[in-house]
Formats: sequence, structure tokens, C-alpha cells
Amino acid sequence: METFIETLLGGLMLGALYALFGLGLSLSLGVMKMINIAHGDLIVLGAYLCSTVMQFAGVGPFVSLVAVVPLMFVIGYVLQRVLLNRVVGKGALTPLLLTFGLSIVLQNVLQETFTADTRSLQAGDLSLRGFDIAGVSVGLLPLVSTLISAVIFAGTSWLIGHSHLGRQARAVADDPGTARLVGVNDGNFFALVTGFVLAVIALAAVMYGIRTPFSPTSGPERLLYSFEAVVLGGLGNVWGTFIGGLVIGVAQLFGAKVSSGLGPFFGHLVFLIALLARPQGLLGKAQR
Amino acid sequence: MSTVTTLRAPLSVRAKGKGLAFATALLVCGVLAVVPWFTNFGTQRLMIEIFTVFAIALAWNLLAGYGGLVVVGHQMFVGVGAYALFALSNRLEFNPWMMLPLAAIATGLFAVVSAYPMFRLRGAHFAVGTWVLAEMLRILTLNNEWLGAGGGMPLEALSSFDRWTRNAGIYWAALVVGVGTLVVARTILRGRLGLALMSVRDSEAAAEASGVAIRRAKLVLWVIAGSLTGLAGAVAYMNTLQVTPDATFSLNWSAAAIFIAVLGGIGTLEGPILGTLVYFLLRESFASYGSWYFIGLGSLAIVTMILAPGGAWSLITRKWPVDPFGVRRDMPR
Repeated sequence: METFIETLLGGLMLGALYALFGLGLSLSLGVMKMINIAHGDLIVLGAYLCSTVMQFAGVGPFVSLVAVVPLMFVIGYVLQRVLLNRVVGKGALTPLLLTFGLSIVLQNVLQETFTADTRSLQAGDLSLRGFDIAGVSVGLLPLVSTLISAVIFAGTSWLIGHSHLGRQARAVADDPGTARLVGVNDGNFFALVTGFVLAVIALAAVMYGIRTPFSPTSGPERLLYSFEAVVLGGLGNVWGTFIGGLVIGVAQLFGAKVSSGLGPFFGHLVFLIALLARPQGLLGKAQR
Repeated sequence: MSTVTTLRAPLSVRAKGKGLAFATALLVCGVLAVVPWFTNFGTQRLMIEIFTVFAIALAWNLLAGYGGLVVVGHQMFVGVGAYALFALSNRLEFNPWMMLPLAAIATGLFAVVSAYPMFRLRGAHFAVGTWVLAEMLRILTLNNEWLGAGGGMPLEALSSFDRWTRNAGIYWAALVVGVGTLVVARTILRGRLGLALMSVRDSEAAAEASGVAIRRAKLVLWVIAGSLTGLAGAVAYMNTLQVTPDATFSLNWSAAAIFIAVLGGIGTLEGPILGTLVYFLLRESFASYGSWYFIGLGSLAIVTMILAPGGAWSLITRKWPVDPFGVRRDMPR
């Protein structure tokens, strides 16, 4: 029983991290109607940037975010302005293939800069601490990262619902042409969204880097988990992505209990079954 | 993608021009067929790779350029075809060449089954969804002892042939697959299915209103392109003699197909031919630069998508209105 609860809790906390991976993908899908194939590689880039800042400034992983979050925001803004804005709104094919090329470039730039060796972010004794609740042991770090993830989701949800930027986001998502007519500067706005997405990625990256060793080629797997969280939760629904991430995380950890090599497989399997049973996603509205 | 689609079949240009084109095609095939007698094994192996990668890229391009089915997990068909061939040939101890059609059929069956979950997704979601499926197959073969797990398996039956027969035999199989895929693609595009697909590509709503069975057309294309890719994958791995989960289900197969189609021209038959030539020319000249080669290739694809989304072939048709395969449909006058 204790192992069951431990696995469940571990899965939920892993899932909260996947949800955070998926949040950015969900936003760019909702607002710009594009999937960024390089999403996973950008997560890995964030982890490498943290690692570099930690090395040079001699600080811990969370302190390194002070530099990495603004840096990632700028990278996102420039990337969207210079490159991605040229293909937004040109159907599904063009942005997909463009970001596919970007993903290959990014992976190889990382390999060239940081070698193919795996790295991880050292969080000192923070990553070792944990506590017991009625015989169930819970790690402090996963708990902290789950809380951070939930806070970011709540914040994003509030921003979309109540802020001026959020109103613009919803307007552009509903009808980009009309939104432009009433004065939304979509070029600049998309760049701000991608900047925000990459800032969220930076936060997710630091927790990912402490948890799991990463290498330049770890990106695509992160993209798949993010994608599954988004589709499983239902499109255009921020909290759906959160639930979707939790489901994938739980499925992976229980799968790993069945056979240690099959964790990700069970995540994929649950995704496929959910797709057949409920194509609109867990929280999505049924269409037609 | 502003090709005008009409109900009339393409007008043949002139009987004389047609005969000339046919004679040229025959001559090219004839020259390619006698290659094993005049080249060394290294050249033959490279050409086997060129033909099979061309077939895979052409099948990808049929799906993406004509069916609107962008596949990032295209390696799943390569893997299923190659594993089907190796498993059938090793277990039944049959001549692997005789097993090639069975490998294609097995991949076709897999395509039928995989359509159930995949066709629930559209556009970019479909693209990434196929990648998830390919990953699942990779993990499954990685954990399956019967298929050799992580180490994969060799093609045992091939060891009973001498080196020349083996190489030449695989070369001819690859040639048949490359030319055959082109013929199949051209036949599809000139026939009813091609007409249906191009009408869907130009306007899905108009096509549906005119009575095109969209879902069926896409499903048929999915199964044909999947089988062709499986067959090409099987031949490609006859060449390397060993299948392993990580190589056979590697994203690199999709990446090659995507680069070739993007560089040559998506949604054309000529594009993949040009693209394959460009791709192998670049690879043979620059692959020794490692990461930098991939950075260059990726950047080239990005620049092509932005500056010339129609690829190299569009640069040619922009100047000269050529249509060597007779698959363009013009407005009836």
C-alpha cells in the first residue's frame, strides 16, 4: 500500500513537471496555432544555460534563474521576431518543418558547445532532503517543484483571464484577422508570448536538470511528453494541460514498476488509449 | 499550393515528345541496371542507400505534399518493414528477396491498424502523434527478446550468398524499389486518387461538397505510402545486414525524408529526385564535419522554408513551365 501511494505521489510530482513542460506548447498552440518541434531542445538549452551560469557565478541552480529567465525571454522574443513570425498563420506544415530544422540545428549547436556528455544540476543537500508522512516518504525537491508548477499555472490562468495581454491572447486565438483590425500588433505580441513561453521553460528546465541528467539529444523526448500533456488535457485549456501532465507522469511511474525499461512506453500507451476514447481531451469540449 | 484542379485528365503534349520521354526513361533504367558489373562494392552500397532513401522521401512527400498528412514518425514504417523482413526470413529460413513483398504487406497492415488512433489527430497534432507511435515501437522492440532486444538481429539467410551476388541482388532490389515507387506515385497522381487528393489539398470544403470521400482517399494513400516505405526500409537494412531498435526506429529517417522534400520541393514528384541528389551531394562532401554538417543542413532547410517554400524545383518551374511526369492538371479551355 505504501509503495502504491509513494508511486502515485511520485507520478503526480513528475507529472507536474511535465505539465510545466507542456504549458509553453499549449500557449503557442492556442495563440499562434503552431507546434514548436524545438520545444524540447529549448528546455535542454535552458538546463545548459543554468549549468553554465552556475559554473561561472558559483551559485546554486535556483539563483542562476535570476540570469537565465530574462535571457531565455530575450531568446524567445528574438526567435519569434526574426524567424517564427515569418511562418505563423501559413498553415500547419511550414512552422512545423521550420522548427524541425531549428531542432536539428539546436541539438548540434549544444553538442558542439557542451560536448555529448550528460550533465546534471547540483542542488546540494536540497535534493537529498525529504520527510515521512505516515510511512510514505516524500522528497522535498519534487514537492517544491510541484508547488512552483501549480503556482505558475494559476498565474498564467489568471493572466489569460484578467490581464490586458490575456485579453489580446484570447482575441488573437479566436480570430487573428479581427484582432489585428482592432489594434493588436500581432508581430510584437507573438514575440512577447514566445518570450513568456521560454521564461516558463527556463523554470521547468532548472527543476528538470536537478532531477534528471540531460544531454544535447534529450530534447525530443521532452517534446513528446509536453505534447502528450497538451493533447490529453484538451486544446485551448490551460488547466487541462496540468491534468494531462499529471496523468502522463503517473502512467510513466506505474509503467516503470511493471518493467523498468517501459516507463515512457506506458505514458505513450495511456496517451493513445485516451486519444481513442476521448479525442477532444480530458477537459476539452466535444466538437460537432 | 495554388495548383488549379479540374476534372479533366492531363492533356498529353505530343505523341512524339511522349515517346522520347519513355525512351529516355528506359535508357536510364537500362544503364542503372548494369551498374553492378562496372563499379566496386562501395559505389553499389552508396547507390542502394540513394535509391532506398529516395523511395522513403518520395513516400513521405506523397503523404505530406498531396495528402496533407505530415509525418514526423515516418521511421515507424522503415522499422516495421525492416523488422518484418528480418523476422520472417530468419524464422522461416526463406530467401530474403522472396520475403520482400511480405514485408511490404506487413507494413501495409500496420498502417491500416495505426490509422485508427492517428487519424483522430489533424495537422501538426497528427505529425507529432506519429512520432509518439514510432517511439512506442522503438521501446517495444528494445524490450522484446524475440526480436533481439537492444542488440537487434542479423539477416542470417544472406550469409549463404557470395559477396557479389549479395551486393548486386540488393542493388537490383533497391533499383526496383526506387523506380517502382516513382511509377506508383505517378500512377496515383494521374488517376482518380490523385485527383481526389489534389482537390482536398486545394480546398477541403469544396472537395467534400463535390463528393470526394476524403477520409477514404487519405487512408488509401496512408497504406500505399506506408507499404512503399516499409519495402524501402527492408531493402535498406538488407544492405546493412543488421537491424537495431535505435537505428531502425531512429528519427534520422524522417529527418532525411523531410530535408529531401523541403530542399527539392514539397508536393511535386520532381522535388524528391532533385532533393535526393542535393542531399547526398552535401552528405558525401561535408558529413566529415560532424555536428557542423547538421547545423548547416538544418539552417539550409530553414532558409529554404522562408525564401523558397517550394524548394529547388519551384526555382526551375518559375522560369520554365516544364512537367516531365505529366501530373499537372490544367484548366480545360
